[in-house]
Formats: sequence, C-alpha cells, structure tokens
Amino acid sequence: MTTVLIVDDHPTFRATARMLLEAEGYDVVGEAPDGTSGIAAAWELHPDLVLLDVNLPDLDGFSVAQRITANQGAPAVVLTSSRDSSDFGPLVAGSGARGFISKGELSGAAIAELL
Amino acid sequence: MPGLRRALVALFVVGVLFAAVDVAIVLTSSHDDQKVVDAVLGPLIGLSFIGTGVFAWWRRPLNRFGLLMTAVGFAWFAGALVEADNAIVSTIGSYVGPLYLVLVVQLVLSFPTGRLETTTSRVIVAAAYIDAFVLTLPVFLFDGNINSGSNAPDNAFVIAHARGFADVVDVLTSLIGFAIAAATAVVLLRKRRTSTAPQRRAQAPMLWTGLTVIIALGLLFGGDAVGVPDNVLGVVAFVGFVAFAILPYAFVAGLVRTRYSRAGAVGGLIERLNTPDTPVRLREALADALGDPTLQLVYWRESAGHYVNYAGHRVDLPAPNSGPARRAVAEVERDGKRVGAIVYDAALRDDPSLVRAAAAAAALQLENERLEAELRARVEELQTSRARLVEVSMGERRRLERDLHDGAQQRLVALSLQLGLARRKLEDDPVIGGRLLDAARGELDRALEELRELARGIHPAILTDRGLGAALEALAHRAPLPVDLHEMPKDRLPAAVEAAAYFVVAESLTNVAKYSGAEHATVRVGRHDSFAVVEVSDDGVGGADPAAGTGLRGLADRLAALDGRLEVHSPPGGGTLIRANIPCPTCA
Repeated sequence: MTTVLIVDDHPTFRATARMLLEAEGYDVVGEAPDGTSGIAAAWELHPDLVLLDVNLPDLDGFSVAQRITANQGAPAVVLTSSRDSSDFGPLVAGSGARGFISKGELSGAAIAELL
Repeated sequence: MPGLRRALVALFVVGVLFAAVDVAIVLTSSHDDQKVVDAVLGPLIGLSFIGTGVFAWWRRPLNRFGLLMTAVGFAWFAGALVEADNAIVSTIGSYVGPLYLVLVVQLVLSFPTGRLETTTSRVIVAAAYIDAFVLTLPVFLFDGNINSGSNAPDNAFVIAHARGFADVVDVLTSLIGFAIAAATAVVLLRKRRTSTAPQRRAQAPMLWTGLTVIIALGLLFGGDAVGVPDNVLGVVAFVGFVAFAILPYAFVAGLVRTRYSRAGAVGGLIERLNTPDTPVRLREALADALGDPTLQLVYWRESAGHYVNYAGHRVDLPAPNSGPARRAVAEVERDGKRVGAIVYDAALRDDPSLVRAAAAAAALQLENERLEAELRARVEELQTSRARLVEVSMGERRRLERDLHDGAQQRLVALSLQLGLARRKLEDDPVIGGRLLDAARGELDRALEELRELARGIHPAILTDRGLGAALEALAHRAPLPVDLHEMPKDRLPAAVEAAAYFVVAESLTNVAKYSGAEHATVRVGRHDSFAVVEVSDDGVGGADPAAGTGLRGLADRLAALDGRLEVHSPPGGGTLIRANIPCPTCA
C-alpha cells in the first residue's frame, strides 16, 4: 500500500483529501500544516509520496519540494493547489516534484498516473 | 511706557537744576578765570548730554547707551564743583572731575548697545576707573598737584606733605591714562574694520568724534607726563574739548543717518518688489534690505496650523536667541491675519522698527508666496496620500485574493472532492454517501456566506440600492454589540460621500468589536457647512492610535482623496470618538 504524507495549511482540505485517498486504497501516514513541519515529517515518516500544497504559510511549496527531493531515496512529491497549474509556469518542472494536480481534480487515479 | 517717560522727564528737570547750581557756583567763584565761558558752555554741554541721553533712553529702554550719555552729563556737572570757594566742595569737584572722561571712554567703547561686549573693552574701562579714582588718591592725600587752578581753595584731603612722591604718582597715572586712551583708540579702529557697510555709515559720526576725544585725551596725558609745552597742549585740549562738546550731536547725527538708511533700505525693497520684469524671491530682497544673509522666511498654513518653508515642508520657529547663531522672529500679518514670519539674526533686534517696516512692505508679496507654499504643501500631501491610497488599494486587492483563496475557493475544492467521493460511495455504501452529500451541502452554505461577506466588503449592494441610512442600519444589525443610530440622512448623498461614510462606520465598528471592549456604540451622520460629518463613538478602553494600525490610516487616506479629514479622540480609559469630515457641496 502506498504511504502518503499530506502537507497543507487548510484542515478542511487535509481531512477531505485523507478521506478520498484512503477510500482509494492509499495509506495516509501523516499530515503537516506548513513547510517546515512538512520537511521534518517527510524525513521522519519516509512516506512513498508527499502531497504538497503550493501556498504554505511559511515556505513556498516549490522550495519545500526541492528540499524534500534533494536526497537519494527521497519520497516522490506531487504538488497541489486550488489554483491552476498554468498559474505557476515552469516552476513545477523545476521543483523536483513528479507533477501537479489541481485540488478539484485530486483522485487516486490522477496520483497513480504521475507515479 | 508712561511711567518711564515721566521718570525721564523728571531726570531731565534734575539735570536743569544741576545746571543752575553749576552756573551759580561758577558766577560766585572767586578763582574761576573764565566765568562767562564756563557759565554759558558748562550748562550747555551738560544738558546736551543729559538731553540726548534721556531721549535715547526713552526710545530704546533696553539699550544702556542713553543711561551712559545721561551719566556723562551729570558727571560733567559734578566736575564743576571744583570752582566752588569751599575747600571741601572744591576738592571733591577736583577728585570726581575725571569721571566724565572715564564715562566717555566707556561710552565710545560700548557704542551702540551701551554694553561692553568684549573682555578687552571691559578691562580698559576697569583700568580707567582704577586709574582715575584709586591711583590718584595719593596725589590728593600727599599734597600733589590737583589741577584746581590758581587762587583755588586748598586741597582739603591732605593728610601729609610729600609732594615728591605725589608728583611721581601723578606722572604714573598720566602714563596709564595715555595707555588707556591708546588702547581705546585701537579697539575703536578695529571695531570699525569688522563692521558691515550700513553699520559703518550709521556709526561714523559717533566713532570719529569719540576717537578725536580719546586721541586728544591720550596726547594730553602723554604730553603732561613728558612735559610738552603748555601752548601745544592747549591746542590739543581745545580740539579735544570741541570734539567732546559735539559728541551728543554726533550721536544724534548717527541716529538720523540710520533712520535715513533704514528708509532707504525699505524704499529700495518696495521698489525691487514692484519691478514687474525682474521677479525676485522675497527672501533675497529682504536679506539684502536688512543686511542679513541668514534671514529665513516661513509661511503660515492656516489649514494645518503650522509654518512651512518655501518648498512647503513643515518648519518650527526657533526659540528666541536659540542655537549658536542667535535668531529672532518677527511675525507678519496682513489685514489682521497671520501670513508668515521673518526669522533673522538677533543682532538686528537693536533696530526692531526696521524689521517691522520691512515686514510691512513685504506683507503682500509674503501673502503671495504663502499661497504658493500652501499649494506646494498641498501637492506634496496629495502625492503622499495618493501613493498611500495606491498602496492601500493594492493591499486590499491582495487581501481579497487571499480571502477568496483561503475561504470560498477552499470550500469549493473540498465540495468538489466530497461530491466525487459521494458519487462513488452512493453505489456501495449509500449511508456514507448520504453523509458525504450532507457535508458537501454544509460546505456549500459556508462558501456562499463567505462570498456574501466578501461582496459586502467590496461594496455593499444595499448602499447602492437604498442609500447610507439603510446600509448603516444593516451594519448596526450585524454588529456583535448594540449600536444606536442617530440623525441618519433622509435623502441620498453623492455616491462617493455615501461610500466613504459607510466605510468609516464599518471600519470603526470592526475596531470597536475587536479592540475596544465596549458595551455600546453610537453612530451619527450630520451635515455641517458643506460637509457630511460622520461620528462613531464607544464606551470602551480608548487608546486607539491612528498611526499604529493600517485600518485607520487607510480610512484617513481615503478621506484625504476626497479632501476630507479624519479625527480620532481616544484618551486611555475614555472611550473612542472617530469623526470624519467629508466634503459634500450638496449637503449645505
């Protein structure tokens, strides 16, 4: 079962995303409300996947993605936002993340496609 | 100052009495060789000094020159006692005889202020007093030559006869007298070199006459000590005496010249200001006319209640005589209204009527420059407030984006995910599916409420549709504390005024609810002299600072854009009153 860490500052989204991913066979092993605690949780929990919001209160999601994916054997990162990927231009590609899923289109199948 | 005037008249009358006594002594003297000359010239000279001294004293009560002039006159009369037949009176007259000369030294050294302003001049005057009244004592006590003329009564102060010793002391005092006169002449010439051209012109008569007296005095002392023939000394004495006698008239001539040059300076100023083809800055023209290159002009801003400089920047008047360069201030009025002030070198204060005359001549142009300065100040204020307004508006857009993103958008995202999940669950677990749909419905309601709140914050529809009164009623209704509304406008006001008034109340009530701890708030909207006046008051803790938060400052900037003004009265513990004055031409 793929283990997942959700990093997002909105509790409503974290709860809904957990419900959705667990219903689709993922194992959500942790949640973090900001970039700093997200990086710490990624090192600690070694999830297979980090679902990472772009707009975090402390750090920018792209730099959080870079720091999480910098080491070998690091988890895969999928960026997400309520904004559209076209708002971010080439930033997603340069961040080390596997890809971007708009929050409204989040599903197990969409994640599986990127992994 | 009628009291001073009466006292000075009385002083002059006393001077006349002294003159009468002087004449009586001379006419009854059995040893005065030139009775007629002394009886005519003596009172004339003494009263010239007292008369001009009293006049100068009256015109410039703070200047001690008049006092010194008067003192010379009285000292001159005291010296005439030497002609008395009574030995004691005659000897006293001989002893105090040099007093008027010492006073002349003090007079010329302290011209024109009447004060000895340098250490050198103070030392010279002190030496003169010591030489005249301390060092000469042995001459009197040991039967020296006390210059009281032939047939004069005997020296009444003699305690022992030691003519040889007394003569040595006499020569010594003469040599010191010579040194004092020489030093005085040097100081006077040096002072002339450092004077400005107008000062020199005004001081010339007094300076040259005084210098002649001092040089003659020096030559007499020196000649006396080294034994120059009497006929030569006689000529010198005559020249010195004539110069001394005309000293008061030289002083008057100086005054006339000053007044003339003052009239010339002010006349030149008026002419310069009225020449249309060569526009000149008033400050330069005034600085030239008053001979003060450091002169500054400041303009009164009635609307702001402070002074500004030509560029329109706020300036504070210097405290009188403050700073290394002592400054004085003359406020300028036109038609009874303050228009500005001249800040000038305090040295000019000796001539306050000059500054006043120049200020009066400049009032019209000062008023014009004041209007220009006012305009510059307003332009600068508008630029600042416009820049802040842009900043506020950008900040509001950022806040809107943030609110949309964090609020409704997040709820709609969650709703979308919940609907997707519910659709899948409806087939294999209808109960969970139903719960997910209920949750989605709740999410949708909250999203709608947040969107409504946001829309109201941008511009409430009720304000557009039904006007300020209805919009404020709705605002009061939604407020978390009781709000009384008074004097709500019945008619519609211009849209910009209604919007400004609405946001003043909205922002103020938000602050009341957040920070004041108040139990009750009151809102008033009145009309006053083409202004809509909006007041929000509460019974909370007070202490609101418009400079501290962005909310009140943002309001102030919005109002400034409409030429309005925000006042905040919020003493600690005394509640808060926010008053906005919004220009509203149709409100009158």
